[in-house]
Amino acid sequence: MAEIVSLADAVAELVRDGDVVALEGFTHLIPVAAGHEIIRQRRRDLTLVRMTPDIVYDQLIGAGCARKLIFSWGGNPGVGSLHRFRDAVQNGWPEPLEIEEHSHAGMANRYVAGASGLPFAVLRGYTGTDLASVTSTIKQITCPFTGERLAAVPAINADVSIIHAQRADRAGNVQLWGLVGVQKEAVLAAKRSLVTVEEVVDELEPVDGGIVLPSWAVTRVAEVPGGAHPSYAQGYSERDNGYYAEWDPISRDRAEFEKWLERTRTTGVPA
Amino acid sequence: MTAASRAEVAVVACAELFRGDGEIVASPMALIPAIGARLARLTFEPDLLLSDGEAYLLDTEGRVEGWQPFKKVLDVVVPHGKRHVVMGASQLDRFGNQNISAIGEHAHPKRQLLGVRGAPGNTVNNRTSYWVPRHGTRVFTPAVDVVSGVGHDNAAKAGQAATRFHDLHRVVTDLAVLDFSGPEHTMRLVSVHPGVSVADVVERTGFELDTSAVTSTRLPDHDELRLIREVLDPAGSREREVAA
Repeated sequence: MAEIVSLADAVAELVRDGDVVALEGFTHLIPVAAGHEIIRQRRRDLTLVRMTPDIVYDQLIGAGCARKLIFSWGGNPGVGSLHRFRDAVQNGWPEPLEIEEHSHAGMANRYVAGASGLPFAVLRGYTGTDLASVTSTIKQITCPFTGERLAAVPAINADVSIIHAQRADRAGNVQLWGLVGVQKEAVLAAKRSLVTVEEVVDELEPVDGGIVLPSWAVTRVAEVPGGAHPSYAQGYSERDNGYYAEWDPISRDRAEFEKWLERTRTTGVPA
Repeated sequence: MTAASRAEVAVVACAELFRGDGEIVASPMALIPAIGARLARLTFEPDLLLSDGEAYLLDTEGRVEGWQPFKKVLDVVVPHGKRHVVMGASQLDRFGNQNISAIGEHAHPKRQLLGVRGAPGNTVNNRTSYWVPRHGTRVFTPAVDVVSGVGHDNAAKAGQAATRFHDLHRVVTDLAVLDFSGPEHTMRLVSVHPGVSVADVVERTGFELDTSAVTSTRLPDHDELRLIREVLDPAGSREREVAA
């Protein structure tokens, strides 16, 4: 059953050096505040997993929290590249970053397999590309029924999955709606999970298109209003487009980034 | 009305990519192909479905007409060929192999790119075209560093799982339209845009091109120009994606 705790306590308890950590959220509901807390607590050697790493992963990588990234797209949406990510891959700064590159479908299916309790997923994509020769987690498999050669990819079962949602009730049941990516699968697949929410309420009123993650599937809930900023939480906040543009010059320059890092480490948990 | 700009010629060439597609999802990954898809829908492909790239299907005025989050796309649309994707390419070779992953060796790249994204699945599951806003030898290379989207030679080598729905359609650039009907499914120059010579395209292409039957890319007609300028892109953003 999910327990409701502070963000700092949740990260301290759930995220350990060397863990495989997945922060999921697509376009909105990106758990940025939780990422900043991981930076503040100076976690290291993490294997970061995310279908579409954006600014928060650039920040975690630049802060030296990660040794490996599992992904299918890494960029600053609407702006361009992630320069901390590129600096780590190309120049090993501040730490060398190993990458495990998959396609979107490969990543989504790996989470689905993990959530389903299956060891791997099978798909047609990858055939004919160079990915199988550069990514060790893509293997060829022969369909026992048709003989077709297909790609197999292992389940992702993160040590801890972190997502942001609109709200939870006091028992720790979590409700999210709007554009939903693979958050449900990431949480169900993980050994431990943390959900930051805009608010904790007495009762979860049904919302069209919403999904509920039951309390038994969630380890910890932390109330963090605005915890998806600069992304948005539908029904609660708007996307801060300026932040994405302003990140570009910070990300391009190691000195500017280090100033940002110092500010982030010395400020407290967002109210 | 003033004569069509290079960007407007490219918009119409991108619209022509979708001719005959019918009721499938157009997934254009850049501005000019997106304007082209909307132009096709407003003119000769009224059944074309337009995605916002996130979760909605939109009409040409941006009104929501369907809910299609990406899991649905992966479950329902991609594996059934009901989609025509127009991707970009950091590198593209004569067989249509595309690289959007990394320049140089994958483990130690000179330039880490954004990642393969949907390319491995798109190219073996549904119709794929490419849009290259700056036609040059950096993009059109003899061999790509990391095959992300599958070209004809690699599809043939991989066998039925890759060839079954493999359907590389065309490449539109700021200079020309190309397809893969050259010898052994290699790239062929279909047409050059007004003001561009065949020699210009050959010079800016890093491999041998079939130039045996080159025509001129058609100009936008009066109605198309009006739609582009007054309805689809009144702010003129298209002119920033392609040099005049």
